[in-house]
Amino acid sequence: MKLAKILMAGALATTALTTAAMADVKVGLLGGISGPIAAMSPSMIAASKLAIAQVNAQGGVLGGQKLEAILGDSACNPQNGVDAATKLVNVEQIVGLIGPHCSGAVLAVANSVTIPAGVALITPSGTSPEITGLDDGDKVFRTVPSDDYQGRALARTLLAQGTKKVAVAYLNNDYGSGLAGAFKAEFTSKGGEVAGYAAHEEGKASYRSNLAELASGGADTLVIFDYGDGTGLTILRQSLENGFFENFVGGDGMKSEAIIKELGAENLTTFTSSSPVGEASDSNAKFTKAFTEAGGSADAIFATTSYDAAFLMALGVEIAGGDKAKVAAAIASASNGEGEKVEAGEWKKALELIKAGKAIDYQGASGSLDFNAKGDVPGSYALFKVDGDSFSVKTTMK
Amino acid sequence: MGIYELINFYVIPGLVLGSIYALGAVGITLVFGILRFAHLAHGDLATFGAFTALAVVATTGVNPWIALPVAMVICAALAVGIDKVFYDYLSERPKIITVMASLGIALMLRSLIQVIWGVDTETYTRGIVRPDNYWGFRIRDRELYTLLAMFAITGALWLFLQKTKWGKAMRAMSDNPDLALLSGVDNRLTTMLTWAIVGALCAASGFFLGLNTELKSMMGWTMLLPMFAAAILGGVGRVEGAVLGGLVVGVAEELSVLVLPSEYKAAMAFAILIVILLVRPTGLLKGKLL
Amino acid sequence: MELLGYLNYAVYMAIFIGIYAILALALNIQWGFTGLFNAGVAGFFAVGAYTSAILTSAAAEGRLGGYELPVIVGWLASMLAAGAIAWPIGKICLRFRSDYLAIATIGIAEIIRLVIKSEGWLTGGARGISKIPRPFSDFEYLYTQLSYLALVMIALFLVYYMIERQLKAPWGRMMRAIRDNEAAANAMGKNIEARRLQAFVFGSAIMGLGGAMLAHYYRSITPEAIDPMIATFLVWIMLILGGSGNNKGAILGVVVVWIIWSMSEFVTDSLPAEYAIKAKYLRIFIIGLLLQLVLRFRPEGILPETAKSSTSTSDQQTSNNNKGEAEPSPAQSA
Repeated sequence: MKLAKILMAGALATTALTTAAMADVKVGLLGGISGPIAAMSPSMIAASKLAIAQVNAQGGVLGGQKLEAILGDSACNPQNGVDAATKLVNVEQIVGLIGPHCSGAVLAVANSVTIPAGVALITPSGTSPEITGLDDGDKVFRTVPSDDYQGRALARTLLAQGTKKVAVAYLNNDYGSGLAGAFKAEFTSKGGEVAGYAAHEEGKASYRSNLAELASGGADTLVIFDYGDGTGLTILRQSLENGFFENFVGGDGMKSEAIIKELGAENLTTFTSSSPVGEASDSNAKFTKAFTEAGGSADAIFATTSYDAAFLMALGVEIAGGDKAKVAAAIASASNGEGEKVEAGEWKKALELIKAGKAIDYQGASGSLDFNAKGDVPGSYALFKVDGDSFSVKTTMK
Repeated sequence: MGIYELINFYVIPGLVLGSIYALGAVGITLVFGILRFAHLAHGDLATFGAFTALAVVATTGVNPWIALPVAMVICAALAVGIDKVFYDYLSERPKIITVMASLGIALMLRSLIQVIWGVDTETYTRGIVRPDNYWGFRIRDRELYTLLAMFAITGALWLFLQKTKWGKAMRAMSDNPDLALLSGVDNRLTTMLTWAIVGALCAASGFFLGLNTELKSMMGWTMLLPMFAAAILGGVGRVEGAVLGGLVVGVAEELSVLVLPSEYKAAMAFAILIVILLVRPTGLLKGKLL
Repeated sequence: MELLGYLNYAVYMAIFIGIYAILALALNIQWGFTGLFNAGVAGFFAVGAYTSAILTSAAAEGRLGGYELPVIVGWLASMLAAGAIAWPIGKICLRFRSDYLAIATIGIAEIIRLVIKSEGWLTGGARGISKIPRPFSDFEYLYTQLSYLALVMIALFLVYYMIERQLKAPWGRMMRAIRDNEAAANAMGKNIEARRLQAFVFGSAIMGLGGAMLAHYYRSITPEAIDPMIATFLVWIMLILGGSGNNKGAILGVVVVWIIWSMSEFVTDSLPAEYAIKAKYLRIFIIGLLLQLVLRFRPEGILPETAKSSTSTSDQQTSNNNKGEAEPSPAQSA
C-alpha cells in the first residue's frame, strides 16, 4: 500500500515536472513503438517529426509559437493505445492526435478518447475499412488510403501487364486481409485467375510449406500483402531461395529498404511493388529530399503518410487558430481539392495563404490526399521496381 | 504430389524449424525439470543471444559460425547473472513468483535489445542462399548445419548429463533436491551450471533462428509458446524428449498446411500437445509429472 | 482545464483498473482459491468480448451481427458464453496438473485467438467489430466516462461480493481444502473433479464479463486486444503481485501494476527529445524492473492470503503458509 502511494506520488511529481516545462502548442504523436510493428515505427515517427521540424523552422504556428509533438506508445494494442491517448489528450492537453499506427488501436482510441473529447485524429497507417464507418462527428481522418483502393488498382495493373494468373499470400491482420480481399475480388471479376490464396501468421520461422501449397496452383507470380521488414521479407526470401515463383508483386508494405538491404538488389529483378505516389506534383520529391537529408529513408513503409499526417495536423492547428474544437474542420478544409496548392515542406507559403484568408489544398508526399466526407483519401499509386539500392517507378497504376 | 516435393517443401523445412524449437525446448525442459518453473524469459534470452552473435559478426567481421560460441558463452554468463540477481532469492518462495519474475526479465531483456540494437530487421549475411541438390533432395547448407549442430549440441548435453559427475548432480537435483542435498550435491553450484547450459542453449536457438530467417527484436517472444509446447510434449525434464517434441512440432506445423487453412498453422503445436497429453499425460517420453 | 484533464485521466484509470480487477478476481477464483493454473485468460476474455459485441452491435456486412440487443443482455450472454466454452475445456483439461494445465490453456487461448482472427464471417476477422454501443455514450466526455465508471464499479462490487460470499460458505472452505490437501479432501468423500470444474467455469464466466466490459468501453474489439501479453500475463502479474488468495490483494495488485504501467510513460518522457523513441523501450525495462522490486520486497504479494481476517501474522509465517498452499510441491502431487 505504502509502495503504491510512493509510486503514485513519484509519478505525479514527474508529471507536474513535465507539464511545467510545457511548450507552446502540443500535438500527440502516438506510435506502435513497442510491440509487433516496432520495426516500422521509428521511420514513421521520424517522418512525422520532420514535418513538425519544418513547421517550426519556417515560422511555427499561431504567430511564431513552436509546435511540439508529444510521443506516446500504443504498443499496437487497444489497451496501451487508449492509455497513452488518454494521457496525451487529458494530461498533455494536445490539440490534435497524429496516430495511432495500428487499426485496432485507432478504433479504440477514436471511440473511447478522441471522439468523446472532441480531438481531431489523423492516422497515417490505420487501413481497416471499419475506420471509414466510425460515428466520428468528422473528427477522424487518415492519410493512408483504405486497402480497398490499392488492392483493386493493383489487380487492374497486373491484368493490364498481361499477368492473368497469380497466387496471393497475405498477412493475417487488417492490413493484409483487407488488401488481399479487394485484390482478389477485382482480379477475378476482370478475368484473372487466383490460383492460390492463403493467409499466414507472423513470426514463424518457415513459410515454405505455405509457399509450396500456393505454388501448387500453377501460378508463376506471387502477390504478397505483408510488411517488408517483417514476415514479408521471410516469405520473399524463402520463395526466391526455393524457386517457388518467378515474379513477385508486393503491396505498399513490401516497398521497404529492408528488402533491398537484406536480399540484395541483384536477386530482386523480378520484384515489383505498388506504393502511393504524389500525383502531378513534385511534393513527393521534396519530401524525399528533405527526409534523406534528415537521415531517413523515404522508402520506409508509411513514411510519406506519416509526414502528411503531421503536416496536415499543423495546417489544421494554424487554420483553426489553435482552437481544439475547430481543428478537425480545418484539416478537412486544408485538403479537399479546392484552393491554392501547397506541397510538402512549404509551410511558409501555407502561412502566408492562411494569413491572406485563402483556401489551401495540401498536396501530400503520398498523393493529393483530398479527404472525402468520411475522412478517407483516394490515393494514387504506382508500381515500383528495384533500381540499384532504391526503388524507381515502373508504371503508374489506374 | 511427389515424395520429393513432400520431403523438400514440407519435411525438411519442418525438421529445420523443429531443430530450432528443440534447442529452445531443451533449455525450457531443463529449467522445468531441475528448477521447477516455467521460464518465460527464454525466448527473449534467445533473441539476446542471436543479437550478441550479430554484434560479434558486425564488429569483427568473422564468420557467423565463430560468433556462435562467443554468443553462447556471453548468454551463459548472462543467464547465471540473471539467476544470481533476480531468481535466486525467490527460490524458497512459491514457484509462481519466479515465473512472474521471469516475465519481468523477458520485458527487460527485450527492452535492452531494442535500446542496444534497435528494432530493424537484420541478417548475419546479406543476400540469399539457394538450396543444393542431393539426389533430388533440396537442402541449403545452413539448414544441414542447423540440423547437425542441434544433434551435436543436444547429444553432448545428453552425454554430459549421463556420464559426468556434474551431470549426475543435475539429474539428482531434478529427481529430488532435498535428497540430492543430503547426498552431498552442491545445489547452488548445480543451479549455476544449469543456468549456464540454459543460457548457451538459448543463444544457439536464437542464432539458428536468425541464421535461417532474420533477426527481429520480437522473434524470441513469438517462438516461446511453440517451444513450451515442444518441451511439454516431449516429457518434462527429458532432453531427448524435448528434441523429439521440437521436431514433431516443427514437422507437424509444416505438414498442417496440407490439411488446414494456413492461418491455423500456429495452432498445430497446441492441438498435438493437448491430444498427446490426453493419451499420455507424461508426454511422448515419460517425463516427470509435476 | 488542466484539472479537468487530470480528472478525466483519473476516471479512465479507475475504469481500466475496475475492468482488470474483475479479471484478476476471476483468476483468483481459479488460482488463488482452487489452485488451477489457467494461463488462457485471454481466450475467455475474448469469447466474452466478442459474444457481447456480436449481440449488441448493429448489423455489418460480412459478419454475424445486427441483433442490437440491450447491453445488459450482451453482458449476461458474455458470461454464459465464456462459461459454456470453459465447461468442455475444463472437462478435458482439468485432469492435467499445474504446469501442464497452464500450457494446455495457453494453447486453447491461442486457438481461440486464431479462430477469431481467421473466421471473418463470425467475428469480422482481423478487422474486428466496431460500433459496439456503450451505455450513456451521448453525454459529454467526463460524464460518459463517469457513468461508465459507475457501471464498472457496480459490476466489480457484485463480483467481489459474490466471490466473498461463496468463500465464506461451505463451498469456499471445501475449495481451499481441496487446494491445500487434495488427498485428505478426497478421503473425506468430496467430489474434487466437480468442484474444480465449478471453479473453472465460474472464473471463466467472470473473465468473459471483463472482456465484454472492456469491449463496450472501447466500443470496438479487435484481435490485437486479446494478445496473450496484455490479456493473460498482465492479469497474472497483477494477481501475483497483489497477493493471490486474497480478493483485496488481487484488486490492489491491479491498481499498483497499472499505475506502474501507465505512469512509467511520464517518467521516461522526461528524457531529452532525441531519446524519445528509446525512452519508450526503456519504459518497458522500468516496468520489468519495478516488478522485480515488488517481487523482491513483497514476494508473497502486497496483501498476502491470511487464514483469518487479521493481518497480524508475521511475514515468515505467511510465506511459509503460502509456500505450502499456493503451489503443491512436486512431491505432494506426484
